[in-house]
Amino acid sequence: MTVILAICVAVTFAVSIYLMTGRELKSIAMGVFLLGHAANLSIIAMSRTPVRHEPQLLKGPPILTASFDPAQPMSQIVDPLPQALILTAIVIGFAVMAFLLSLLVVTSRQAGTLSVEELAMESMEE
Amino acid sequence: MNLSNLIILFIAIPMGTGVIGVLLKQRVQIARVLGVLSFLATSALAVALLIHLRSHPTGILVSQMGAWPAPYGISVVFDSLSGLLVAASSVVALACYIHSFSTVDPVAEKRYFHPMVQLLMFGVNLAFLTGDLFNLFVSFEIMLMASYCLLTFGGSRLQMTQAYKYVLLNLVGSTVFVIGAGLVYGMTGTLNYADLALFVAERQARGEALPPGFTALSISLLLVFGLKGAIFPLWFWLPDTYYTCNVSISGLFAGMLTKVGIYAIARTFPMIFAHGGSDATKVVMPILAISAAFTMFLGVLGAVSHHNIRRILAVHVISQVGYMVFGLALMTQVALAGCLFYMIQHMVVKSCLFLCCGIIERHTGTDDLDRSGGLLKRDGYLAVVFFIAAMSLVGLPPLSGFFGKLVIVREGWETHWWLSIFGLLTGALTLLSMLKIWSYCFWSPSAQAIERTPENLPNTSSLRPAYVGATLLVVVALFLGFGAQPVYEIAFRAGAQLAQPDEYIAAVLGPDALNEVAKYRATQTHLAAGTGAEVTP
Repeated sequence: MTVILAICVAVTFAVSIYLMTGRELKSIAMGVFLLGHAANLSIIAMSRTPVRHEPQLLKGPPILTASFDPAQPMSQIVDPLPQALILTAIVIGFAVMAFLLSLLVVTSRQAGTLSVEELAMESMEE
Repeated sequence: MNLSNLIILFIAIPMGTGVIGVLLKQRVQIARVLGVLSFLATSALAVALLIHLRSHPTGILVSQMGAWPAPYGISVVFDSLSGLLVAASSVVALACYIHSFSTVDPVAEKRYFHPMVQLLMFGVNLAFLTGDLFNLFVSFEIMLMASYCLLTFGGSRLQMTQAYKYVLLNLVGSTVFVIGAGLVYGMTGTLNYADLALFVAERQARGEALPPGFTALSISLLLVFGLKGAIFPLWFWLPDTYYTCNVSISGLFAGMLTKVGIYAIARTFPMIFAHGGSDATKVVMPILAISAAFTMFLGVLGAVSHHNIRRILAVHVISQVGYMVFGLALMTQVALAGCLFYMIQHMVVKSCLFLCCGIIERHTGTDDLDRSGGLLKRDGYLAVVFFIAAMSLVGLPPLSGFFGKLVIVREGWETHWWLSIFGLLTGALTLLSMLKIWSYCFWSPSAQAIERTPENLPNTSSLRPAYVGATLLVVVALFLGFGAQPVYEIAFRAGAQLAQPDEYIAAVLGPDALNEVAKYRATQTHLAAGTGAEVTP
């Protein structure tokens, strides 16, 4: 399972970096969003039973996995903290996505172009 | 009354004022008053808590969010390091905010300017106070989102393109931070600073190796914090972005945002990643030292070469950050104290210089040095303020910069004498660049008759708030210079707590947390004393 996750993360990273070397600001923005998704995937790979503090100390219902064995409830516990981290990262990524896309719209209105070369030439002239 | 409960006010007051500011979108006057009140409240509270800390036994105030015990919940910690930085940043925010009443465009001001400044300070205060690595990430994001909005405030084409660069770079940095935080959790099982420090201390006391990849992880986190702090190979975003935005906002950013990155390095590396003689120390400290040299020296060379006041000041931020990284690279108690004092006085002085630049621009209509002049006669008060701030930056005794540089350069003299020489050379070149601004703007006669056309001076608001803001900061800078002794006492306490994190761990996790480590350390000393037999306590 971890191997499949690792391959997914690697492929997503590769695609996002390929997009970030694109010619238009749109492609670069898409690449950055994919980068965030790859990071979230990589945190899922950290989800396993907690290593540092005893599982019995976690108060509250255990989070069930697919193969729940009632005789040994603590053996199938999944660590809920990385899921909280990923949720936070997704929400932050969503907010940044909204901002970046609106920035793209305003830039294209102001500058008339979204091509990286033309925008760079403008800022070099000034 | 338990004063630890007051810590949450630093986070709640700016957040609440920001939310109210969003509701008060059109009523600018009320928003201004509320904003000033909120910054006054946080500054006063920070100074009061700092004075209280001097008589406190451990000097650390801890509060757990939601009363969940550490390390399951998130701690907010007000110790000497966080406290000094929160106090300084609140005062700087107050001054820049008052200054912005003169410089911000009245039409655009109604578009959520005031809530954005409040939310920026919410993020900054949360970053300084939190005791949890992922909460640090969240506070970085809050701070960055507010800074994106403030950077593009005004909507000119240049601002949009520069802001885009800044946004993209910070997004990449955030992604690396997320991955780093996840990896820290995977390797150690915790995200709380005190718990991480305990993890490292336990491993070192037992003589076990740290988990494989810990050094690489620390370097990737150094990358993220260095991107925020604009240290050597990661500084290229700073000169371009800081000069395009509104002057008061530049002052706010220059004072605060880079310091958050340096604070993060100061908080995590001496306690956790580069603690004791771990492998990470051997890798991280040379990197920091070389980076400090390049940052200091190349930064000031860049500053000397420019001819616009704003660009000079923006590139200067980089070279002064180099001094702080110099202090961090040494990682002793004294060096960390010097770094902390330097951070505080730089926040105050650099923002003061930007605010003076704002007033200069109002007088001359431009920030180009060739077209300015004769301000000494026109505005003697501004000349005095600028001179004091500039000489504080350079480090003339008895002003504040001198005491910061003195501690750092002297501490580095034994081990990294070449860095100290770079530091002194940088000081000389800093003097050169400040004198350049002084002589072109103030000392030389007026270059040409300044035509007050509507395009030249679009803003006709009163300049009095600008003077109030600059005066406030110069008074604080003078206090830091002449009254450096009490501030240094707090800074030395912070340095001691960073270099030897036992007090911090005991304060956050409770006094029983260190029992295991104490047992292992006792067995180590018995073994080392040559008794031969292992004594079980």
